[in-house]
Amino acid sequence: MKPLMLQGHERSITQIKYNREGDLLFSVAKDSTPNVWYTINGERLGTYDGHRGTVWSVDVNWDSTKLLTGAADLSSRLWDCETGAVINVYETKSSVRSCNFSFCGNLFNYTTDRQMKHEPRICVFDIREPADAEPALSFVVDTKEMSKPMCSLWGALNEYLITGHDDGTISHWDLKTGQLLHSVKEHTMLIKDMQLSSDQMMLVTASKDKTAKLYDAPTLEHLKTYKTDRPVNSAAISPIRDHVVLGGGQEAMEVTTTSTKVGKFDAKFFHLVFEEEFGRVKGHFGPINSLAFHPNGKSYSSGGEDGFVRMHEFDQSYLDFEFEC
Amino acid sequence: MVANMDDEEQWEDVKSRKKRVEITNGFEEEPDFSDPDDYVDDISDSELLPDLLEKRPKEADGIDAVIVVDNVPMVGADRLPKLKTVISKIFSKFGPIHSDYYPEKDGKTVGYIFIEYEMFQGARDAVKGADLYKLDRSHTLRLNLFSDFDKYKNVKEEWTPPERQPFKDVGNLHYYLEEEDCSDQFSIIYEGGQKTAILLNSTSGPSVVEERPRWTETYTRWSPKGSYLATFHGKGIALWGGEKFKQIQRFAHPGVQLIDFSPCERYLVTFSPMPEPGNDEMQAVIIWEIFTGAKKRTFQADMSGDDDRQWPIFKWSHDGKYLARKAKGVLSVYETPSMGLLDKKSIAIDGISEFFWSPADNMLAFWIAERNEIPARVIILSIPSRKEVRVKNLFNVADIRLNWHKQGKFLCVKVDRYNKAKKANISNFEIFHIQEKQVPVDIVELKEQVNAFAWEPTGNKFCCLHGESPRISATFYEIKGGKVECLETMERKQASHIFWSPAGQFVLLAGLNSATSQLEFIDTSDMSVMNTGEHLMVSDIEWDPTGRYLVSIVSWWAHKIDNAYWVWSFQGRLLRKHPTEQLCQLLWRPRPPTLLNHSQIKKIRKEHKSYSKIFEAKDRQLQNRASKEIIEKRRHLMERYLSYRRQCREVYLETTPYRRELRNGVNTDEVDSHAEDWDEVTVEILLEEEDIVLSDKE
Repeated sequence: MKPLMLQGHERSITQIKYNREGDLLFSVAKDSTPNVWYTINGERLGTYDGHRGTVWSVDVNWDSTKLLTGAADLSSRLWDCETGAVINVYETKSSVRSCNFSFCGNLFNYTTDRQMKHEPRICVFDIREPADAEPALSFVVDTKEMSKPMCSLWGALNEYLITGHDDGTISHWDLKTGQLLHSVKEHTMLIKDMQLSSDQMMLVTASKDKTAKLYDAPTLEHLKTYKTDRPVNSAAISPIRDHVVLGGGQEAMEVTTTSTKVGKFDAKFFHLVFEEEFGRVKGHFGPINSLAFHPNGKSYSSGGEDGFVRMHEFDQSYLDFEFEC
Repeated sequence: MVANMDDEEQWEDVKSRKKRVEITNGFEEEPDFSDPDDYVDDISDSELLPDLLEKRPKEADGIDAVIVVDNVPMVGADRLPKLKTVISKIFSKFGPIHSDYYPEKDGKTVGYIFIEYEMFQGARDAVKGADLYKLDRSHTLRLNLFSDFDKYKNVKEEWTPPERQPFKDVGNLHYYLEEEDCSDQFSIIYEGGQKTAILLNSTSGPSVVEERPRWTETYTRWSPKGSYLATFHGKGIALWGGEKFKQIQRFAHPGVQLIDFSPCERYLVTFSPMPEPGNDEMQAVIIWEIFTGAKKRTFQADMSGDDDRQWPIFKWSHDGKYLARKAKGVLSVYETPSMGLLDKKSIAIDGISEFFWSPADNMLAFWIAERNEIPARVIILSIPSRKEVRVKNLFNVADIRLNWHKQGKFLCVKVDRYNKAKKANISNFEIFHIQEKQVPVDIVELKEQVNAFAWEPTGNKFCCLHGESPRISATFYEIKGGKVECLETMERKQASHIFWSPAGQFVLLAGLNSATSQLEFIDTSDMSVMNTGEHLMVSDIEWDPTGRYLVSIVSWWAHKIDNAYWVWSFQGRLLRKHPTEQLCQLLWRPRPPTLLNHSQIKKIRKEHKSYSKIFEAKDRQLQNRASKEIIEKRRHLMERYLSYRRQCREVYLETTPYRRELRNGVNTDEVDSHAEDWDEVTVEILLEEEDIVLSDKE
């Protein structure tokens, strides 16, 4: 595979996302400026200027008309995807850790951090309403009873919200009432990323406890575990094959001696069913923070602590690769 | 005092005194109850004063602190004061003396005296310390506690034999040697010390034989022949063995930190810096007999401040017959099983520095540092004859290290001298050929400082690492036909330690605890580098006892992350990696020396081909079986997964109408589901860049 290296950020990448058709790749980083790139040749279209702090999360709606970002400057912004103009700014009391569009694109949610005496909050807004309107749903996650949510996803068909928490719990919330429906704790440390499969039936979570786990999304039944020797920062499920990719690495402050020669900063490919690692892709000079498969499954991208986004296209041998069975 | 006086008399006196002093205080005269003058009462004292009489001092009381000293010179009255002075000087060392008694007969002392100390402690110390004291050439004092006489007098006439203890069957201690594939066991401590497990290194990978949480509190040790596993606890040591690793023996020694087995596995030496409660003395070192669990001898902490607090303090001879310890200026050799000093005295060697037993004979090699113009010396002493087999003087010595060949054939003495500028060390090796008559010595000169040295365990080669980092070289020598020959020098190695395979011929040069962590596998038969590998932050290397496998370990005690052990073949091929949570220690279980004799080994070597065919067939069978198992497992997993996916698919199809609705009727299920909506865009892709310099302005 020939990786394309996209250098557009001055600080470490926090999240990358493809749009539904796969022709655009959005990347956000700690340098407060989201970028959008053409996936076909790695050319950058433009930036979205306005945030004044680390942008933690990004999402694009299904027809690639609107972009949503959540940042540490206590705001979440809705942008026009094509022009880069700000449509709305949603003020929050603490930094926004994750934000997602709903399946239909008319609603979105964000979760905030626990900061300066403000408890983490989960809010759902309708984008058709003006910015200062009341949220469709807003509730507080009491950290005395439950640890703070780190990432969130919409359940299929807008029925429920899935959140991953600081202590390894995954919860389902009812979107009409804000009630906690269901929660499971399989991981032992915080969950850094969660992604759904292309049919939204399976969920993969990446945790600091050096494993990634596969769940059935509606029931939260724990299906598989993928073990590594490094904290896992991100995981994604291939849309066309039974593969899962994991990326992670020791956080910068915890590193005492790590040699890039040894390739600790690599993306690891596991077989989804057999839980066995079959491949590694090296290249990043720092831990990988975000991974995403192209919707057609023929390539994937990774964003790292080093500020680079690398786009890899798979060779035919990967697409043909089969385990003996 | 009552005993000395006549009872009747005393009472009469009192009575008469009473009579004389009659108290009249103005009242009417009371009736006189006193006895008539000549009345003698007939009640005995034992009836009247039983309790007082009980407290009557007996002969036996107060003699606990009395000692009897024999072989005291018999002197007349004129020399008696001098004798008394000498004796009291000797004995007042052990405690304050209360009194002494020199019985005499015909004007001369009879040859034994009694000394009473203030306290029992003094008497006890005196017996311990002054027994066998040589007063002069013909008088050696012998001491005994006075109470001992009583004790020995009262020994029962009849002797009852002790009760029979039931035999504790510990099972087959050497069951592990009968393992079919001759796989070796090894012990690991992991999870930061919480779990200890014994694993079997079988061809398909390690399998757990036994695993126990908190089996040991600090670390474990195997006995030299592999029969026992020793675990450390706050109260002492426990030995485990047999198929089920049952507890065979326990040794109570609170705070034990270090242990040492005798090579024959009959004795165990334990060391604890903690004082034992209830006992005034610090029983720092205890020697135990393993089979019975009995304490054979204890020693006090005699660390006389020398800078060689190196364990083991007691060094065993190769057959376990002798035990030696060095203290300042003296070498004490004890013999087993009595644990008494050989020939009842230590060997006085002024300035002795370090000593080592030969691994094959009962010989000690030690060296004495240079002092006051007397050059340093290396001496080889034969035990028990105490004959000096070889002595060599060495001049201008800065430091000496001794290193015996594993089979006792040679002794290598590494001598460090300062070079002319007095800055760096130059090392020489003096190789003593022990097995040749009169022990000739060969000198090998090296121009640089030697960092590491190792003999080949079977064979006549040795290897040393010399030089300053990063220009370290490894040089191999072989002793052929009585001469030391340099085989090869390998330059620019990043090694810090040498690890020979226990079977000989193969050696690993490793850089431990360094940034490079290189492992180089060398075949010394042709001096070729078979393979190089790397294990980042490797902290320990352990060869298995047969020399087939090598394990490189990153221990949690050295490095907090990446704890794992990697298994390599002896040729340097990485076989398996085993990351283990907080791995602390890995030790192979030793094997006892082979019972085959030379001719049998030769025969096996000749028929090697026929054996190898059988083994190869077996290995292939094992491989096939392994892959079949894996394939079975995978097929099973896949089936379950596929049925799960079928369910998901059903749900997905059912919910299709909802999806359409949410996205305004647009079918977005596949990436190209609505390709009609796509625009065509022409994209430029950069193929090539070229710099063309237009003109050179100058």
